[in-house]
Amino acid sequence: MLWKLSLTGIKSRFKDYLVLFSGLTFASAIFYMFMTLATNPAFLKGSLSIAFQITQIVFGFGIALLSIITFVYIVYANSFLLSMRQKDYGMYMMLGARTSKIGRLIFTETLVVGLLATLLGTVLGVALTQGVSSILISQLGLQIHKFVGFYLPALLWTIAFFAILFFLAAFWNRHKLVKSNIINLLHEDQKPVKLHRNKLWKFIEALLGIALLGTGYWAMMHAVKLGTKTIPIAFFTIVFGSYFTFDSFFTAIIDLLRKNLAFKYRKLHSFTLGQLKFRLSDYTRILSTVSLLFALALGAITVGLNFNNMTEQAMESTYYDVVLYNHNKKVDNQLKKVSVKSTTNLEYKIIMEGKGKERQRILYIPESQIENNKIMYQHYSRKNDVSHYDTRRITLNDFKNKKSNVAAEGEYQLVSLTPYKDAQVKVVPQVQYNRIKATVNKIELLRVNDFRSNFNNIEKLQKLSVNQMISSPNATKDGINVNLSNSKSAQYRLVSSMTSGFEFMGFFLGLAFLAMLASTLMFKVLSGANSDKPRYQMLWKIGTRKSLLKSSIAKEIGILFALPAALGVVDVLFGLQLFKSILGMNTYDKLWIPFTIFGVLYVIYYFLTVVLYQHIVLQKED
Amino acid sequence: MSKVVQVQNITKTYGKKGEKQYQALKGVSFDVERGEFVGIMGASGSGKTTLLNILSTLDQPTTGNVYINGRDITGLNKNQMADFRGQEIGFIFQDFNLLENLTNRENIALPLSLQNVKASEINPKVDKIAKRLGIDHILNKYPAEISGGQKQRVAAARALVHEPAILYGDEPTGALDSKSATELLETMKGLNEKDRVSILMVTHDPYSASYASRILFIKDGKIGKEIKKDGKSREEFYQEIIAELGRR
Ligand SMILES: Nc1ncnc2c1ncn2[C@@H]1O[C@H](COP(=O)(O)OP(=O)(O)O)[C@@H](O)[C@H]1O
Ligand SMILES: [Mg+2]
Repeated sequence: MLWKLSLTGIKSRFKDYLVLFSGLTFASAIFYMFMTLATNPAFLKGSLSIAFQITQIVFGFGIALLSIITFVYIVYANSFLLSMRQKDYGMYMMLGARTSKIGRLIFTETLVVGLLATLLGTVLGVALTQGVSSILISQLGLQIHKFVGFYLPALLWTIAFFAILFFLAAFWNRHKLVKSNIINLLHEDQKPVKLHRNKLWKFIEALLGIALLGTGYWAMMHAVKLGTKTIPIAFFTIVFGSYFTFDSFFTAIIDLLRKNLAFKYRKLHSFTLGQLKFRLSDYTRILSTVSLLFALALGAITVGLNFNNMTEQAMESTYYDVVLYNHNKKVDNQLKKVSVKSTTNLEYKIIMEGKGKERQRILYIPESQIENNKIMYQHYSRKNDVSHYDTRRITLNDFKNKKSNVAAEGEYQLVSLTPYKDAQVKVVPQVQYNRIKATVNKIELLRVNDFRSNFNNIEKLQKLSVNQMISSPNATKDGINVNLSNSKSAQYRLVSSMTSGFEFMGFFLGLAFLAMLASTLMFKVLSGANSDKPRYQMLWKIGTRKSLLKSSIAKEIGILFALPAALGVVDVLFGLQLFKSILGMNTYDKLWIPFTIFGVLYVIYYFLTVVLYQHIVLQKED
Repeated sequence: MSKVVQVQNITKTYGKKGEKQYQALKGVSFDVERGEFVGIMGASGSGKTTLLNILSTLDQPTTGNVYINGRDITGLNKNQMADFRGQEIGFIFQDFNLLENLTNRENIALPLSLQNVKASEINPKVDKIAKRLGIDHILNKYPAEISGGQKQRVAAARALVHEPAILYGDEPTGALDSKSATELLETMKGLNEKDRVSILMVTHDPYSASYASRILFIKDGKIGKEIKKDGKSREEFYQEIIAELGRR
């Protein structure tokens, strides 16, 4: 009988259950996806052979963070479930149902809902993993081999993790229902709210909150000076700073607004302010958590996308895309597959000079080559902590003063282009050059149109040219000292294999986090909806238009969503300073990309929350 | 004397056509004169709340017309109804219905701010009605910090602050102890006699009803007998109500 009643209860709130259920399904799908990406050896081997150890640490860190947010998420989703059910169950108890029976009911309900969602979620997760990974791989041009979405260990881990969480939730719900008395269950919404607190302490708390946040931001801006102390300092100050700020600073602002009568006494402003003030004291923990997670997620995406910049940087460090030493058939054939933008020739002679220990290989380059061939290189410098390259031309002027830095750099750049890395460079007039008895060597310096998109062919071309040089019979005797790792292709391959993993993870973690934290906030807001119902009912009765009630709800929830997001954005802007000074990358460059992705998703969650909330709180008028 | 409320032959049927239907009101007609204190009595389930909901535009009658201050309220659209409630009607409910997250002052001010009354005019109006109801010393407290009787006075102040055409009470003393109930009823009587506030109060409690000047008895969705105070003392009127209830 009671089971039937309970099912009827679920049916009557089917839409709310659907939201809860899909939220839980989504959470387990994301968890599975991350576990697969993090633990699937195919993925790790494929992309991250070089930075394997760092990556494992980073992924481990990611799993820990994801577990924490999943836990928080389940706690709030569960409280939403309980808030939907406690009136029903209170009613059954009043009708004489035994407490133990009610306990069993809620226990079973929680567990069944949770486990069903988990099973469905993992199935969805397999499909998602497959889809998302291939989209990301192609979209971001990542160097990751394809892998399958199904991975048994990840599946087992996910199910185990969620099963434990739902068991805990089921126990908790049973405990709450059995322990609290009927009156409390039926009138949860009428509990008085404590709003008065010591004004002086609140003032101090508000100042402290802002000061702590400021300290944290300062620390991140001076990461170089503070060294390893930066992260503990920033973590501690920002966590507590956010908490204090939410606990007092924002309520102080609301109090200030409440003092402004012209503002307060307009339409439903006083009600919205009252709701917010009450909410903020109830939401302090979740809002500060959300702001921190928001910052982490946004930071992860921003930094992740910027690893892509690092590959760009790696490419920027070398001016010529391909260096061709000598031609043979294979090289010629491969060259046809590459779209060449420009070819620069460089001619030189190489001989051994000097006696005994002084004996050294000398690379002679005629002045005319420098003068006429426009040989370029990338000059490295650091500006405001950011690595910077500018393109320069090697000129004869560079060599006027043989001891100068420019001369040294010019010689270094020239020798780097040839296969004789340990030779000493001499730029000489044509007449002198002609007198040197040695064969004339020629290399071709190529710039191409399609380095990224046609990378595989370009890498192959470079490889063939290098191999041909090394495998020439007298290579060692001739002092040929060249290998692929000095080429632009090799650098690109190295950096991109490392960064694509980070990029992928940053992107993925960021989105997963955002989805979780936004829906955590959503469930927190929705859990309060049931107890807000009588308030809106009353406002409607005393003559508030429904459209006004709707806009008041939208404003209130809007502020609850906006505050942690705003603080999170500020956190990120300062947090990126850390990456700027440590990794030397300008993370502020393409900031709008992650911010837009984030904004759009977050706003979708906001609207979803508003619609669901309105649906719960407002009665249908006929 | 003019009529504040005119009810003409209203019926109310719950349930959609083809489904199980229940007729809660079966043709109700009566008037309330300006400055009158009318009580509507009836057993639980007799249709009192249904009637009051219709008179206050919270619900629509199935047939019949209702005029408040001469205006037909059965033909209004949703927004007009909300505005009408906000301007012409004051409510006191059984369970107070104050907003716990607003101070008492803010609670009372709500109907005024909904009507776009200038901010500078709001506090004086709130102060005036609060003084009249003897709650001026608790205006800056929250509802959770005051007694049930005081809460109901705050609710009354909120119902009256915008000077509505009529004050409705749906079992306003239902959740109060007898001392607070008497205080509230005395206050309502004073408002009616001194301030000429028109009141329509629904109750099943004869003691509360005895404060009215006229009582309509409702049974099974129809108005039965009507009795008037006509200069009798409250005690005498109370005895008459008891006798009337006994007869039925
Ligand atoms: N929304 C509704 N749907 C169906 N029946 C209703 C509804 N509201 C009230 N009723 C029925 O109408 C009758 C009158 O109810 P009500 O006006 O609340 O009585 P009272 O306030 O006098 O106790 C009752 O039998 C009740 O069951
Ligand atoms: Mg009733």
